[in-house]
Amino acid sequence: MNYDASLWLIFILLGLATTLPRASFIVLGNRFSLPPTLQRALRYAPAAALAAIVVPDIVVVSGQIDPVNPKLAAGIAAILVAMRWRNPWLPFIVGMAVLLGLKALLPA
Amino acid sequence: MHATDFERRGFTAGVREGFIAFLPVSVGLIPWALVVGMAMTSAGFSPLQAMGMNIIVFAGTAQLGTLPLIADNAPLWLILATGLALNLRFLIFSAGIAPGFRGIGTGWRWLCGHFLTDGSFAVCYDKLMQVDDPRWRLGYYVITGAWSWLLWQTFALIGIFAAGIVPKSWSLEFMATIALIVLLVPMAKSRPMLVAAIVGGGGAVMLRGMPLRLGVVTAICLGIAAGFAAEHWQEKKTA
Repeated sequence: MNYDASLWLIFILLGLATTLPRASFIVLGNRFSLPPTLQRALRYAPAAALAAIVVPDIVVVSGQIDPVNPKLAAGIAAILVAMRWRNPWLPFIVGMAVLLGLKALLPA
Repeated sequence: MHATDFERRGFTAGVREGFIAFLPVSVGLIPWALVVGMAMTSAGFSPLQAMGMNIIVFAGTAQLGTLPLIADNAPLWLILATGLALNLRFLIFSAGIAPGFRGIGTGWRWLCGHFLTDGSFAVCYDKLMQVDDPRWRLGYYVITGAWSWLLWQTFALIGIFAAGIVPKSWSLEFMATIALIVLLVPMAKSRPMLVAAIVGGGGAVMLRGMPLRLGVVTAICLGIAAGFAAEHWQEKKTA
C-alpha cells in the first residue's frame, strides 16, 4: 500500500492526541481538575476501545461473523496464555503458532 | 507534620535511583516496541514513515489501535477519536501524578507530560508524592521517560527491519492483534472492566454495518457506559 503526505498529518494529530492528555494536568498543576464522576467513567475507555478493535478483527471474516476461523482460535489461545502467565513473549509465540498451524492444516 | 526522611540529594541522585527502580520494568517494553515496529511495516509504512510515527506519536496502544484504521483508509476523525479513546487513561494518570511536579517549571512539565507512560506512572507515583526535593523528583521521573523513549525507538527500529525480511504468509500483522489482547487481558480483571470490554467488543461487531465506521466509536461509548453502570450496580450490591 502507498501513503501520501496526509499520513504525516495523521501522525502529527495523533501525536497531539497522545501528548495533550498526558501533559494536561501535569502542566496545568492544581489550577484545574476533572469532576470525579467523569474520571471514574473514563477509566473504562481503554478497555472498551481495545475490545472494539480486537473483537471484530478476530470474529468477522469478510463482513460475516465466523465463529470457526483460525484468527479467533489464535486470539482465544493468546487470551488464555495472557491470563495464566506473566511472560510477555508467550502470548505471541502461542497465538502465532495456533494461527499458522491452523492455516497450514485448513487450506482456504 | 514531620520532615520527610529524604534529604536534598539533587538531580543526579534522582536519576541514579530512578534508573535502578525502572530497569526491570522497562524490559517489558521490548516486545511491544518490536511488535509495533513490525505492525507498522505490515501496514505498508516505509521505514521513514514508521519511525516518523514512532517518534511523533510515542504511544504503543494508540499506534497499534489506529494502524488497522489507517491501513483501511478510515476517515481522519475516526482515527483521531480512536487514538484519543486509547489515550484517555493518561488524562487520569496525569491528574493523579500532577501533584508530584510541585516546584518544577512549565518547560520540564511539558517534557514530563510527553514522557508519561504506564510504566513511568507505576514506578514514580509514590516517590513523587513523598520526596521534597524537586530536583531529585525531576531526575527520578525524567530518567524513566528518557529510558523508555530510547528503548521504544531502538526496538521499534529493529522490528521495522525484521518485518521487512519476513514473508507475507507468516501473517505478522496478527502480532498487533495479539499485542492488543495482551494489553486488554489484565485490564479486564475487574467485573466492570470486563463488562466494558464485552459491550465494547460485542457492540463493534454488531454495529459494523454503520457507515464511516461509526460503529467503533458508538461501541466504545456503549462500553464506557456499561462499565460505569456495572460499577454502580456492584457498589449498590456490596453497600
